[in-house]
Amino acid sequence: MTAAGREAGVRRPERTGAAAGQAAVLAAGVALLAAVAVVSIGVGAHRVAPGEVVRALVAYDGSADQMIVRDVRAPRALLAVGVGAALAVAGVLVQTLSRNPLAEPGILGVTAGAGFAVTVGSALGAAAAPAGQLAVATAGAVLAAVLVYAVGRSSPLRLVLTGVALSAVLSGVSLGMRLMLPDVFDQYRFWSVGSLAGRERAPLALPLAAIGIAVVGALLLGRALNAVALGDNVAHALGVSVTRVRSTALVLITVLAGAATAVAGPIMFVGLIVPHAVRPLARGSVPWLTVHAAVFGAVLLLLADMGSRVLLPTGEVPVAIVTAFIGGPVLIWAVRRYGAGAS
Amino acid sequence: MFTGRTVRRCAALLLALALTATGCGSSGDDGTAAAEGGTRVFKADNGSITIPAKPQRVVATGYAVPPLIEAGAPLVGISTWKRGVPMMDAQTKATYDRLPKVAGEQAAETNYEAIAKAKPDLIVIGVPAPVLGDIDVNRLKSIAPVVAIGPTVPRAWRELSRRQADAAGVLQKYDATKTQYEAKAAQLAAKYKDVLPKLKFAHVGAYGEVSKGNFQREFDGSWGTNVANDIGAKYYGQVKQKGTGSRSVSEYPSIEELPSAFAEADAITYSVNTDGSVPESVKYVLDSDLWKNLPAVKAGRTYPIRYTEAATYRQAMMTLDAIDKSFAPLLKQ
Amino acid sequence: MSVLVLRAGGRAVHLERRTLVLSAALVAAMLGLGLLGLCYGAEWATPGEVAAALAGTGDAEVVIRDWRLPRVLAALVFGAALGTSGAIFQNLTRNPMGSPDVIGLDAGAYTGALVALTVLSGTSTQLAVCSVVGGLLVAAVIYLLSMDGGLSGLRLVVVGIAVNAVVTALNSWIVLRADLEVAIAAVGWSAGSLNGVDWADLTIPLWAIAVLLALMAAGSHAMHQAALGDAVATATGVGLRRLRLLMVVAGVGLTATVTAVAGPIAFIALAAPQIGRRLARAPGVPLLPAALTGAVLLQAADLAAQALLAPVSLPVGVVTTAIGGCYLLWLLTQEVRRP
Repeated sequence: MTAAGREAGVRRPERTGAAAGQAAVLAAGVALLAAVAVVSIGVGAHRVAPGEVVRALVAYDGSADQMIVRDVRAPRALLAVGVGAALAVAGVLVQTLSRNPLAEPGILGVTAGAGFAVTVGSALGAAAAPAGQLAVATAGAVLAAVLVYAVGRSSPLRLVLTGVALSAVLSGVSLGMRLMLPDVFDQYRFWSVGSLAGRERAPLALPLAAIGIAVVGALLLGRALNAVALGDNVAHALGVSVTRVRSTALVLITVLAGAATAVAGPIMFVGLIVPHAVRPLARGSVPWLTVHAAVFGAVLLLLADMGSRVLLPTGEVPVAIVTAFIGGPVLIWAVRRYGAGAS
Repeated sequence: MFTGRTVRRCAALLLALALTATGCGSSGDDGTAAAEGGTRVFKADNGSITIPAKPQRVVATGYAVPPLIEAGAPLVGISTWKRGVPMMDAQTKATYDRLPKVAGEQAAETNYEAIAKAKPDLIVIGVPAPVLGDIDVNRLKSIAPVVAIGPTVPRAWRELSRRQADAAGVLQKYDATKTQYEAKAAQLAAKYKDVLPKLKFAHVGAYGEVSKGNFQREFDGSWGTNVANDIGAKYYGQVKQKGTGSRSVSEYPSIEELPSAFAEADAITYSVNTDGSVPESVKYVLDSDLWKNLPAVKAGRTYPIRYTEAATYRQAMMTLDAIDKSFAPLLKQ
Repeated sequence: MSVLVLRAGGRAVHLERRTLVLSAALVAAMLGLGLLGLCYGAEWATPGEVAAALAGTGDAEVVIRDWRLPRVLAALVFGAALGTSGAIFQNLTRNPMGSPDVIGLDAGAYTGALVALTVLSGTSTQLAVCSVVGGLLVAAVIYLLSMDGGLSGLRLVVVGIAVNAVVTALNSWIVLRADLEVAIAAVGWSAGSLNGVDWADLTIPLWAIAVLLALMAAGSHAMHQAALGDAVATATGVGLRRLRLLMVVAGVGLTATVTAVAGPIAFIALAAPQIGRRLARAPGVPLLPAALTGAVLLQAADLAAQALLAPVSLPVGVVTTAIGGCYLLWLLTQEVRRP
């Protein structure tokens, strides 16, 4: 951390005032998150009064309504918070690391790789326990990330194309496997479309813990990343080991994307939308960008999940479809804004 | 991805809904027998068809496969029908394995040349009317008369399988099994007459989807309930928004609605696999605290039902046995 | 800038001859596979029997002339249409990934069809018109969004991918909303199929494709110019903007026509033009090799679809997905090796 310390020291004068502003933004973000979470817990197929929601959380009495809040909706909201934060932070890391404004774990095929790995792993019996599932998903994310980076590193747009190509290949292979062995693979369709429904009793402690640790890790890495973001030469001059920062960031990205996919299936675009949305707030500071992305990623996924519950009168739309609705236009905007010189 | 084929299927579905609404395709007088060895006119989903009075070479697909094998129809070719296999007895299974396969699970996998090669004098198609759009019926007609009799609402397997057997000219043997079933059902109804009619039943079906966070609730006349209905169990309530086909007797509420859905139930039955294991979708309900909090569950009145996919009388007799075994504790209470 | 390496040179005569020889070889392969398709079935027919059946005599006349022939013809013509359509878009975007299925034209055509079904009455004419309109609308949106600031091929493809994501999400929503999952569940998967195609299904599509292909052939020379780059094309006096528009409309028309009859047959439009280009060693993506390669690929895939699980006939879309997946993997490894 000496390097980070020195780097921070260089800029200390203008930081103090900025830090107060950033803290205020963070406080507002957390307040918004809390409000959205309570509203999200109140919305659903069964009508629960807002007062009842609060009572269920603070003074549980075991009535059916409160049981719904505690057993179904609260875990789902927690899952949305964890997955949203994980994907958004992974997006920040990927974009900073690759200096590519279009990069995102979903678009780059990292979540597709994780989802595919979980499908195959489950079919082979290797991913029955949550720990195994997490390990398999992360391994899949690592493989996908390395492959896509190796092929597409030469240009931001090429990186995107490679990610999409990899997702297409994987979906083709899954289709083939499902046709050859329908009985084995049909039940794992679970991981083909990202959704937060029906996950409330899946063991969430381990993946959420992994996400929490990885988010904290990303925060600690933030200052070093700040230096790397300024260019390899600057980083060297500041005494930051570029290789070590890169490999640590890669580990964090794959753990975040892998854990999020293991619990919710592949969800695209959250890692793209959120960093772009909060970048103006962070004023060029990667640690603050990470913090804000974590909070607003959670807010975005909570909102998208509410949308997934109310968009249809008959049932649910998987949350990944809602994020695609929002994310597609953001990708187009980003290509038009940053893509001109990128090809 | 979705496809033009799906699109066509959807068009066919809409058409089928219209047909069902106007009452076509319902069972009625099943044709008039003509002279021995001659032909007769048979009313099917695809119109009034002239068929041989005594078919000698029959091709069966889809839902028509199990009833026609069981009734000993003169089959020369069948489609694969994996979902029916777990409920086949050894003899039926042997026949199923022996017969040449002329089509796959999906209607789109129909192999017209293989059907032509089997030289049938009658083709019985047992697919839901919407899926008929996937089959080139005209091409099949150029091979042999085509009778389409597909499933509509779950409980209608009784009439449908009987009509399929009738078309294939094996009604006599089929009706023998039917009589056996009815006698057995009547006997069980008598056995449970003091307990079943007093209870308000509810049923958890196997077709809910965990990944959508919902469960399947079945009412009277659905897959999981229609055989239990025959021995006097009454499932209370009805579908909130009536659909067609199975959607007229079952619905898919969110797991959140479990308490409100089953609050009044005195007893709850649920579908299990043929080997007795609990399917994922039902386990999702059974593991929930909301389930454990239901009055019927607290009172210990929950009953698994095996063989809920029964679609022939012989299979339904297995269902009767399974229900009898499951309901036995009711008599002791 | 683009993934394509353009190997232009002053070897025009040599190229013409190579293309000619290649085309002859591909036509021979097409005819061979076509004959194989006529012979292959539940009962093998010798070429003699096939000839007799085509002449209107013999036992197998109905099976071969009315069942197998339309299917073989559909595979060849649809394959050519898809290959051509892919070549058009890959030329315009100057990128091997710029094929109609990747940039969302298929998804747009499907949206059109869904609208025809849920809003209109869903007759086959409405389906055909709406799928073409849907495909064109998506093409227009992509074109407009990626046009200003210099039309970069990669950028168009990425915009197409984004549009594809949104349109696919829209399609899922319409389907979920329309409560048609009964029908979809009955299928289990959805992939384009040529099973059961007969003459009645083919008349109009064959005409439409023939007209569009003729149009393409006429514009083929100008296309080559465009493939050499905007500057060259402008210098040689090609009305680039109008040409592009015409090509886009024709390309969308080809894809949508095939999709309306057979459902989406993935990856032929992606793979055929590139394979054709490599065989022909041509600059840009030539149309004729792409069309012929597409025909050979689809007919081969359809034979494989019939033979793999015989007597059960797989949807050909499944086989092309597998072929396309392998092709994409290969493309990726090629890219890895490149410095």
